[in-house]
Amino acid sequence: MALNDTSLSGKNKAAPGAEGLTDYYSRIHFWGRVTIWSVIILSLLLPVYLSFVLGYHPGWGPIIAAYLAFAALMGLAWAMEPVLYYPTLGVSGTYLAFLTGNISNMCLPSAAAAQNSIGAEPGTKKGEIAATLGIGAASIMNVAILIPIIFGGSYLLSVLPPGAQDMLQYILPAIFGGILGQFAIKKPVYAVVGITVALAVIMQPVGAWNNIFVSILLTVIVCMLIERRKKQ
Amino acid sequence: MSEVMEIANGGVIWLFAGMIISIVVFQGLLFIRLASKSSSAVGMTKGEVQSALRTGAISAIGPSLAIMVIAISLITFLGDPLTLMRIGIIGSAPIEALGASIGADAYGAQLGAAGYTAEALTTVVWTLCLGGAGGLFVVAVFTKSFGKLEKKASSKSKDGKGVILITTAALIGAFSFFAGGEAVKGYIHLFVAVGAGVSMICMQKLADKRNLVWLKEWSLGLAILAGLFTGYLFT
Repeated sequence: MALNDTSLSGKNKAAPGAEGLTDYYSRIHFWGRVTIWSVIILSLLLPVYLSFVLGYHPGWGPIIAAYLAFAALMGLAWAMEPVLYYPTLGVSGTYLAFLTGNISNMCLPSAAAAQNSIGAEPGTKKGEIAATLGIGAASIMNVAILIPIIFGGSYLLSVLPPGAQDMLQYILPAIFGGILGQFAIKKPVYAVVGITVALAVIMQPVGAWNNIFVSILLTVIVCMLIERRKKQ
Repeated sequence: MSEVMEIANGGVIWLFAGMIISIVVFQGLLFIRLASKSSSAVGMTKGEVQSALRTGAISAIGPSLAIMVIAISLITFLGDPLTLMRIGIIGSAPIEALGASIGADAYGAQLGAAGYTAEALTTVVWTLCLGGAGGLFVVAVFTKSFGKLEKKASSKSKDGKGVILITTAALIGAFSFFAGGEAVKGYIHLFVAVGAGVSMICMQKLADKRNLVWLKEWSLGLAILAGLFTGYLFT
């Protein structure tokens, strides 16, 4: 927030119509919660059905043991991911992305690409609407691809030449490299800072520090220090 | 093993998967409609709405196909409907794969091995479903509070420029960490990431120069292909 005093000279066109979105947000909150709670309830009824209707209950021991082990690995992510991605996704994007799943590998890149295609800045209302449209379209596209593939079994994949199939294991570096390129055009200095910080965080020896939160925090701090120096 | 799969592909499980997928599609369509309606309030033209939708859909093709690869390798252990509802939708493919192994292990079995009984499958389903509910619970309960906090913060700041810079820096930090984590896995990973990044930069420059909207919409999909091709040259 240290930037506010320095950026006052800007045109101050702060979010036109932010007030006109009140109705939009109340609908998004309502339907976002209704859809997410319905999925939570269905997700819990399914194992109950397997355990107690079909009678395959494995006993609470292994269930609790498995859940604790899973939660120990993922608990921080479950709690922190919504906070971490909120600034980019906004209210509507958060409801959409978490129900759609595959957030870092599909939703965030689609949201960033949609914002970029129409020149909307992340963190603005226009950016949030663009992200919502991008993730919504991505979610529908995902289902449209998923269902025929599941029904067609692995046939479609077997049609791919083996060389192409092997390359699909490298899809994650391709997605992240591509998105990083998109940001490097807009903010080259930030991108250099981000990559340097990330590599330092990943390669330093202390395991607990090899963490996305450390990486984000350091990148933001360094970039803001650079901005402040530029203004002076 | 085949009995377990008969259970996993049973009608009631299909019913659950069908309902969950319907809710996800319903939410997607509804939010697109609400966002398009509000687009003029944030100064977005109809053309920009179409462009954002097309870009989102095109950008999802590559990631979605990659998700399917993981999904198909897990169908043999989880069956069609569970794979559909957990890996493809709601969950995240690598994390669900991890959860499935943890669940089977807690029952003293291995996915697909001889001890992988109906009870082992049930343990896996409990693990995945309870795990997925955790993250959704946080979103359902706290997103409204985030919105209120944001409103307070933005009403204090005079204009949004600082917020934009911080958000952009945070995003770059997150994607740098993801990309860096992949790039250090091996030299092919590194070449794939660099190839995708460089091709993206070239496409964006060209699109800006010639004002090619379609190239911006296709850029992420094409960058993914270019990255994979770069890696292919080095294998």
